[in-house]
Amino acid sequence: MNRSNAAVDVGSSSSTEAVRVEGLTKVFPNGVRALSGIDLTVRQGEFLVIIGLSGSGKSTLLRCLNRLIDPSEGRAWIFGDEITATAGADLRAMRAEVAMIFQQFNLVKRHTVISNVLSGALGRSPLWSSLFLRFSEEEKAQAQAYLDRVGLGDRAGSRADALSGGQQQRVAIARALMQKPRLVLADEPVASLDPALRHSVMRHIEALNREEGMTVLCTLHDIDLIERYASRVVALRDGRLVYEGKPTSFDAVTFRQIYGEDAVMAGSATD
Amino acid sequence: MEISAELQRQQRSLWRHRMRQVQAFCIDLLLLTLMLLMVEFLVVAFSGRRGPTGLLVTPEEILDLLHYGWAVSGAAFLALLWGLGSNVLGTSPGRALVLGVPEREGHPPWTRTLRGWFIALMVELTVFTGWLITEVQLVTFLTQFSKATDIVRGLLHPSSSVLHQGLVLLVQTIFLAFMATAFAIPVAFCLSFLAARNLTRDTFLLRSAYTLVRAGMNFTRAVEPLVWALIFISWVGIGPFAGVLALWVHSVAALVKLYSEQIENIDHGPVDAITATGASHLQVLRYGVVPQVIPPFLSFTIYRWDINVRMSTIIGFVGGGGIGYILKPRVDLGQWGEVGTLVLLIAATVWCMDILSAKIRERIV
Repeated sequence: MNRSNAAVDVGSSSSTEAVRVEGLTKVFPNGVRALSGIDLTVRQGEFLVIIGLSGSGKSTLLRCLNRLIDPSEGRAWIFGDEITATAGADLRAMRAEVAMIFQQFNLVKRHTVISNVLSGALGRSPLWSSLFLRFSEEEKAQAQAYLDRVGLGDRAGSRADALSGGQQQRVAIARALMQKPRLVLADEPVASLDPALRHSVMRHIEALNREEGMTVLCTLHDIDLIERYASRVVALRDGRLVYEGKPTSFDAVTFRQIYGEDAVMAGSATD
Repeated sequence: MEISAELQRQQRSLWRHRMRQVQAFCIDLLLLTLMLLMVEFLVVAFSGRRGPTGLLVTPEEILDLLHYGWAVSGAAFLALLWGLGSNVLGTSPGRALVLGVPEREGHPPWTRTLRGWFIALMVELTVFTGWLITEVQLVTFLTQFSKATDIVRGLLHPSSSVLHQGLVLLVQTIFLAFMATAFAIPVAFCLSFLAARNLTRDTFLLRSAYTLVRAGMNFTRAVEPLVWALIFISWVGIGPFAGVLALWVHSVAALVKLYSEQIENIDHGPVDAITATGASHLQVLRYGVVPQVIPPFLSFTIYRWDINVRMSTIIGFVGGGGIGYILKPRVDLGQWGEVGTLVLLIAATVWCMDILSAKIRERIV
């Protein structure tokens, strides 16, 4: 990674800063304006929950942070390095420090569970052996240990698509652990899971934050999950930041501000 | 800066709208030209006009007589008229196709619109013209069967004299098709990634590679395997190897098309997930793309082998080895009993391959 660039970066002030975003804007080729000038700072160790309606730009924001989507304007720094000004091998090295967890789990369905966990290490494994699906013994032991940790140690040899949704998301969390990131982006990690399973997955994501000290940016819909896990909440509406504060100071008025006049604050808010 | 970007976008959308109007006009022009030409064709054909030899003019002669220039100018006039008078006449077919039917016209049944009648007329004209141009003779077809009885009798009484040689060459045919498919797999596999739109958007180099591979493969596929066989026969000489090469070239082109379409249809989720780990392009392909396309690739490849067995018969006709090589002279000499034997052998093989490949493909997917 291009550590030397950090000194050149105009804004890398505090060393406790995990993510900083300035004027981030994304206009898709079809004219849809997903983000309009987002400014945001996330300190290391935070569990930041991003809320907002579907289409408010939450997903686009997360994907701009690891450059799965290239922003149209604005800049973003991850641990002081400007990811929006990076390309090629440097970009890949930066991505390796940022794990992502998806709503649809996005496992390689035809590979085994353990192979999916091992793929988290691709950012630092040698090219040729990884192309033949070969990993070192330490990496395999490590992957098995992470699987044990999410409670799926006995399913290491199963095909990924043989697992239930909640189990697949736990494999995805083990994959994120295997990546040994400093930042985790979780894009609606529990939205396609049975409500009864949501806490079991969220607790593992919380463990990434509490036990591993990883900074977490997570998009969520359910009020009770937000109150339970978030250390801070920001809300997006039509691609703009409209709210920022503690999860406890979250009341019916701000709720309507974010979700519109028709929304009802119940146990959970869905789209 | 914001404003100028907005202005640019507006200009671009205006320009795009103009291009669509031109497209619509071109389609109308084409359709109306075809209509005028077919009307003229039918008028001439039924006018009883005689050619220089004193006989009734043949369809080919009529095609030479048509007034193409007049038809195009007339059609341009009509297309313009229809475009300008679309308030009264309803939307023209070209505009309906490119720009869609405007809301105010609603969805009337086709009998209520000029467009509907026009299309109905075009279908009828095409059938009539086609009937004349291909010289359809229903009466002959239904009454002159006796002339072909010899051949049918021969095919139904296969002679055993050619059975042994036929079986030997059948084995050659199957292996010929197999080798052509086997050689095609690695080449098609590598090229198909360059021929998939979703993997070749990022850089100019990749986009050019996409265009190049697509164009090359379309051309290769357009050339009949028979022509490839003739080329390779003069290259490596008469025999099964020329047949292998001919089918190989054609299989590569066909497989690249099928493979790349599969790649374009993959679920992009795993690709995103692997990219997010910091993996390189090759690793993303290996983990995000390849596992998703292996089963359909296998299925298409077996299907291709099946097709190659069928095609190798025709390749044999011109000297590309296989069973077609001994079939051709017997057809020419009218030894219908022996032809019958060979045809039965081919049919049995194709039938077996068909069942086998269907069974295997069922298992894979």
